[in-house]
Amino acid sequence: MFQVTRKMLWKGTKTGLQTTWELGKVVVPTAMVVAIFRASGFLDTITAFFAPYMGFFGLSGEAAVVLFSGYFVNLYAAAGSIMALNLTISEITICAVMLGFCHSLLVELPISQKAGSPLGYIFLIRLACSLAVGWLLGVVLP
Amino acid sequence: MSILWEGFLQGMSGLWTVACVVIPLMIVLEIAESNGLLQKLNRLMAKPFRIIGLGEEGAFPVVVAVVFGITYGSGVIINHVRTGKVTRKEARVIGTFMAIAHALIEDTIIFWVLGAPLFLLVAPRLLLAYVMSYVVHKFTPELDLPNGDNLEAMD
Repeated sequence: MFQVTRKMLWKGTKTGLQTTWELGKVVVPTAMVVAIFRASGFLDTITAFFAPYMGFFGLSGEAAVVLFSGYFVNLYAAAGSIMALNLTISEITICAVMLGFCHSLLVELPISQKAGSPLGYIFLIRLACSLAVGWLLGVVLP
Repeated sequence: MSILWEGFLQGMSGLWTVACVVIPLMIVLEIAESNGLLQKLNRLMAKPFRIIGLGEEGAFPVVVAVVFGITYGSGVIINHVRTGKVTRKEARVIGTFMAIAHALIEDTIIFWVLGAPLFLLVAPRLLLAYVMSYVVHKFTPELDLPNGDNLEAMD
């Protein structure tokens, strides 16, 4: 009834390797760009610029660091920022939900594009969801 | 130069992590598919997806993305488009869904550990992913190409 043949194993491995190669062409160069951003301090500059606008989401200025490390780097960076800052539980919740919609953009947008969706369109949808839900939670949460 | 090298190593180690999941996943998929298991599984999960325009083959990458992450979901889509199992329009709907809701286990655990409530981490993502996919399904014209369409043609 349930069969495993050598042909299946080989075909699966081949498909897996092909997929890894396709994604590697995106993932590796992107990681290099992110490393440059981080090392050049460009990441800090963006964060400083946006800090004043955080009140709109019921967040303190510090939370901009969390949002931008999540948007541009990844959720681990955002979690690290949360740990380093003194945010309230509702601020952590707002940041977390916002970042759930929109994170690791430099890595994930090219992946979405690779999977057949236009980059700008996926970016707009994710950012819009993130900002709208962030605003809503800022109003609703105590 | 050392910064570039550091980035390269980070990328490669990330890619290694992906390979460690993607290759076994593809082998399991191949075995499941050859045994006709995938069709049965898809039929169960496909009902809510039909409303947003996804057939049985289209629902599968969404489930993979939601559980394993967008990278793995994309891997499956890339293959599905290449082999003509989904249309380009379906790929767009799937892309929208999984851009919003993916890696729900991993992403949720990170912030749940830091004190955010479980419900708010999961429910809004699934709900908005479904709604946005429905909108895309309704307002995107057919982007169909003949079977055997490949990545180069998609770019």
